[in-house]
Amino acid sequence: MADTKDFVAGFDSNAKRSPRRIVFVTRRTSAQVKAETEEQIQTFPEVLFRAAVAIMALATALIWIALIFNAPLEGLADPSHTPNPAKAPWYFLGLQEMLHYFPPVVAGVLVPGLVVMALVVIPYFKVNIEADGFFLKDRKRRVRVFYLVAVLLSIFLGWFHVIVALVPTLIMAGLMLVASQSPPKSASAFRRYLATRPLSYWVMTWFLFELIVLTAVGTFFRGPGWSWIWPWQGA
Amino acid sequence: MAKTVDQYFEDVRETRVWRSVFRSGTGSSTLKRALAIQQNVFLHLFSTKVRTRMLSFSATWYLGTLTLGTFLLLVATGIPLMLYYHPSVPQAYADTKDLQFVVSSGLFLRNLHRWSAHAMVFLVFAHMFKVFYRGAYRPPREFNWVIGVVLLLITLLLSYTGYLLPWDQLAYWAITVGSNIASAVPLVGDKIHFLLLGGHAVNANALLRFYVLHCMILPLTAMFFVAIHFWRIRKDGGLYSHSSEPGVVRARTAGEMPGTITASRNIGEQRGTPSPAGVKEGK
Amino acid sequence: MPEETKNKDDVSRRQFFAKLGLGSLSIAAAGSVAFAYQYLEPNVLYEPSPVVNAGKPDRYPLDSVTLDVTTGIYIIHSQEGFFSLSAVCTHLGCLTAWKPEQGIIACPCHGSKFFAFQQDGHKPGDKIEGPAPKPLPWKRIWINDDGDLLVDRSTDVPPLARDSFVRV
Repeated sequence: MADTKDFVAGFDSNAKRSPRRIVFVTRRTSAQVKAETEEQIQTFPEVLFRAAVAIMALATALIWIALIFNAPLEGLADPSHTPNPAKAPWYFLGLQEMLHYFPPVVAGVLVPGLVVMALVVIPYFKVNIEADGFFLKDRKRRVRVFYLVAVLLSIFLGWFHVIVALVPTLIMAGLMLVASQSPPKSASAFRRYLATRPLSYWVMTWFLFELIVLTAVGTFFRGPGWSWIWPWQGA
Repeated sequence: MAKTVDQYFEDVRETRVWRSVFRSGTGSSTLKRALAIQQNVFLHLFSTKVRTRMLSFSATWYLGTLTLGTFLLLVATGIPLMLYYHPSVPQAYADTKDLQFVVSSGLFLRNLHRWSAHAMVFLVFAHMFKVFYRGAYRPPREFNWVIGVVLLLITLLLSYTGYLLPWDQLAYWAITVGSNIASAVPLVGDKIHFLLLGGHAVNANALLRFYVLHCMILPLTAMFFVAIHFWRIRKDGGLYSHSSEPGVVRARTAGEMPGTITASRNIGEQRGTPSPAGVKEGK
Repeated sequence: MPEETKNKDDVSRRQFFAKLGLGSLSIAAAGSVAFAYQYLEPNVLYEPSPVVNAGKPDRYPLDSVTLDVTTGIYIIHSQEGFFSLSAVCTHLGCLTAWKPEQGIIACPCHGSKFFAFQQDGHKPGDKIEGPAPKPLPWKRIWINDDGDLLVDRSTDVPPLARDSFVRV
């Protein structure tokens, strides 16, 4: 038999290492082929009808919105006159907010490029698959690494006065601190929950938080000249 | 009265012409329902049976389905809009105004297209986060996750190219800023900028390129990857459902992880659940 | 619970909802078709107006046939007055031409020939020979307040009728 450490019996994309549908036969027992007993239902009508209803509900909601709210249309494109502020579509406003602090190479190319690459490689890292609570294993070392990264990142963001990104970072760091101090048998359900979150959860939640905050700032808190305004002041 | 109408429909369904088109026929037997999927060129991307657990709304919030729904809405509204839109400067702006004020139902179609586009971008992000948080990217589904990221990028590009088409101030300057970011790429940035716009500035060439990208190249690419995405779901054993997947098994000691497999009959292509009876991981 | 008497006309709950659902879907479908058709028919055309201003009547001497190639009409000044024929051949749409030496209108594409004046009991516009299935139509002609001749290419008028001429 191959080295047990390398042999993966389960669901693995590498067909050479983990063949599908195999039977292991141990000594003095016969292979008992046990048929699948999990409950199944027909695709049609169960799945298709649910999908149809979901899509119809979505279409109804969007049609109502389309009947009530008009798509924006400003004046004819005029290359000689730049509107102030010139804002990107809402899903790029987070990026545009970052462009306020960093040069285009960083905010426009480096960061989005790294984000996409980071997303793509998520499922190829063992730590993301095992999904154990981050601070439950190797605690002392991991806490030290966490402090180091959190402090460095905060200093970096503070140095460039990126307050809008610093605040979510500090909040997430605070939550991770609570997680690191929470034993898995803690009395509070919230602390138990935090203690069992894996690293992938922390990184992704930080990313999601930053995304929401940066986009919200770019949408509501930026006025002419990309100056800071309060939403009720209007743009 | 109603009975004869129903009978009339039944008679039509018995004719040779009808039977030559719709070969399986309707019915509520398992066979008929399976055939409805399996004999249909569009639907046989799905398997005829799925695990009950996959229906659960709380697992996925049906976000993937809803994203597909917005995509279909966008195609259904986008193609009629193409009938009144000339991708030339400055006709494009006049046509957008025409659609809003002169063309019957033009305002409605344009609005629906715009709001569905925003909804799709939002839903595709939500779908990605939901898939991540429930761990549905884990093996054997890694590559499907990568395809999902590709689809996310295609969605953003579709929205971006479509943004220019009304040729108003909003469109022109958003794309000018965005394409200038592209020129910030080191070494090849200016070349990318030049190729993307078909020139040095956002003008008639840029509009035409963005139009072709938005209406032809990107939708076809998206459909191609959506097909792979769905096929992969099926080949990976259906939608991920935590309690039924053993995940990656460490073959150290039997019984440590509930990851033993049984041979399973290929019923509707679903995967086996853990079963310890007489089958152990080999040493 | 008392036994429900099943009447032949009774509809079960399932049938009722099925009919309701299908009924409303059909109404929605019919409405969508109607709206889609309205959408596809353009309300505004980017084409020139069918009404042509042919200028003052004294530009056209008696017994003259004048072809305007841009608008595709003949202005003909005969004994009865001014009238207008379409210059588009009724065979396959080629632009016809006035042949003064022969005194007829001829189409260069497949050899159709038409009368320009009344002759031998034939009306202006009637076919002399050729594959054209119909005579050249008469177009509505009138004088506006400025004294200009106007022709409406989208309106046909009966040949030789009193109102088909403009008498100055």
